[in-house]
Amino acid sequence: MRDAGRGRGVGSPRLPAIEAQGLAKSFGGRPACRDVSFAVERGEVFGLLGPNGAGKTTTLRMLAGLYAPDEGSAQVAGFSIAAGRAGGPELRARVGLLTESPGFYDRLTARENLLYFARLQRARDPARRCDLLIEQFALGEHARRPFAELSRGMKQKLAIARALVHEPEVILLDEPTIGLDPEATREVRNLIAGLAAERVTIVLCTHHLEEVERLCSRAAFIAGKLVAVHEIRREALLRIELAAPFAPDGVRDLCRSLRLSGNTLFIEPRAEIPEIVAALVRSGARIASVAPHRDPLEDAWLSLLAEARER
Amino acid sequence: MIGVVVRKELLEMRRSPVLLLSMASLPATVVAVPVALFAWLLHAAPEQALTFVQDVYGVHVPGGTSAGVALALGRNWLPMFLVLPMFLPILLAAQSIGGERERRTLEPLLATPVSTLSIVVGKSVAALLPAVLITWAAAALFCLGMDGVAGAFLLPDSSWLFGTLVLSPLLALFGNALAVVVSSLVLDPRAAQNLAATTVLPLLGLLAFQLAGKISLGPGFYLFLAAGVAAADVALIAAAVRLFDRERLLTSWR
Repeated sequence: MRDAGRGRGVGSPRLPAIEAQGLAKSFGGRPACRDVSFAVERGEVFGLLGPNGAGKTTTLRMLAGLYAPDEGSAQVAGFSIAAGRAGGPELRARVGLLTESPGFYDRLTARENLLYFARLQRARDPARRCDLLIEQFALGEHARRPFAELSRGMKQKLAIARALVHEPEVILLDEPTIGLDPEATREVRNLIAGLAAERVTIVLCTHHLEEVERLCSRAAFIAGKLVAVHEIRREALLRIELAAPFAPDGVRDLCRSLRLSGNTLFIEPRAEIPEIVAALVRSGARIASVAPHRDPLEDAWLSLLAEARER
Repeated sequence: MIGVVVRKELLEMRRSPVLLLSMASLPATVVAVPVALFAWLLHAAPEQALTFVQDVYGVHVPGGTSAGVALALGRNWLPMFLVLPMFLPILLAAQSIGGERERRTLEPLLATPVSTLSIVVGKSVAALLPAVLITWAAAALFCLGMDGVAGAFLLPDSSWLFGTLVLSPLLALFGNALAVVVSSLVLDPRAAQNLAATTVLPLLGLLAFQLAGKISLGPGFYLFLAAGVAAADVALIAAAVRLFDRERLLTSWR
């Protein structure tokens, strides 16, 4: 996987890998998504979150050059997508797409399937590249088995290998763990984490918040239209409930970040927790409870979703 | 890229012996029935009946009634060998696009930089090759069978050679391209197969009229047919590429 995301295109390294501006698409008069704007930096793992039917797959397909947007425009790996004009073959050669369903040919073996797509994707030295990925994805034992005989997890790993086979600049993953058992889910997540560690540009489309929290640096919330882009905090926060209003300025030096929401204080600690609590008490705070705050993305997502539904 | 598509399609076909066997069953019947009928006629029919057959089809050649009947049967049965290469690949080509969609392989295929022309031509050629080869093998067996029963070298004559070597591949391409066009428009592979199969009806009509002794198809007709089919092939391939709407194929369910 070492060179999975290494670019060979013309996109400038200073430009974002993806820049979407006001993308909108409808089918038969029914809007699938609208006002989708976000940018993904090179080497970033970016989440696309939303409930079923929110327009995530449609957005991904526009970025992959499969659909032409009705409105808006995008740049993907230095290639343009405009209203009424889908990305061309050059764009598709630089994007790796993991489709919702693995989509391979049942009668061909795992290796034959991968080799077919490697050739269609104009991969350099396709046979060698396939063998390398088969080895890296631990599919060696199953490489000569017909695709139909593989387990769901192996099929998904093969599909991820296909998305990487031509060393794309941008990888778009559509629901990579959907329908997988816990063991296969963990394997696939580890694969994506491995790619993320190698600074491959990835857009991860999912409705599993924990997947985004674990793998992404930022996430866009989509519910018909783009609701917000949210920065993912992986550090454990401290949630301190205060019994009375309080200005926490006296403890800022002990915190990486500090946010007061009503009588609830969210702290990303820089110092030890007892030290922070002692400083708060010394400053006159009346503390009702102290607890770790583990699920900030879920909170953000649910409140954004509720707001979007009210609107 | 055309070669990549063709190779994959042929590999898939090779992995399905039942499919190849089913493709060979119709040609086997088309060969066996007339040869057996001819052998039975020579064995059981009175001389007057054989002379009657020659008179109906206007085939009078040196070598006696058996040679005349063999040539009459051979010439009248030739359109069947033009139907075969059209009919055989239709079953494959009609599945080409709709089948990819049903198996959910269409999206990954369209996400590659492969051109529409490569997909259409690649799939057509892959369906056409086995059909033409099976037709040629069947035609060779038919000629050998008829010559063997007649005890003389009668077939293939010029019409047969032109029909099987030139016209068969052109008609196979025609049937294929039409099936790909239908498959691009009608996404249910079963409906596409049924619709595409109707393209053989005009040729079957010609066969019926010829067998009834109403018309006599000669080299001039086959030459004219070849020119028409070649032009239609080019037009159909162009239409197939034009009608191949990548986005509609992924979104429409009709």
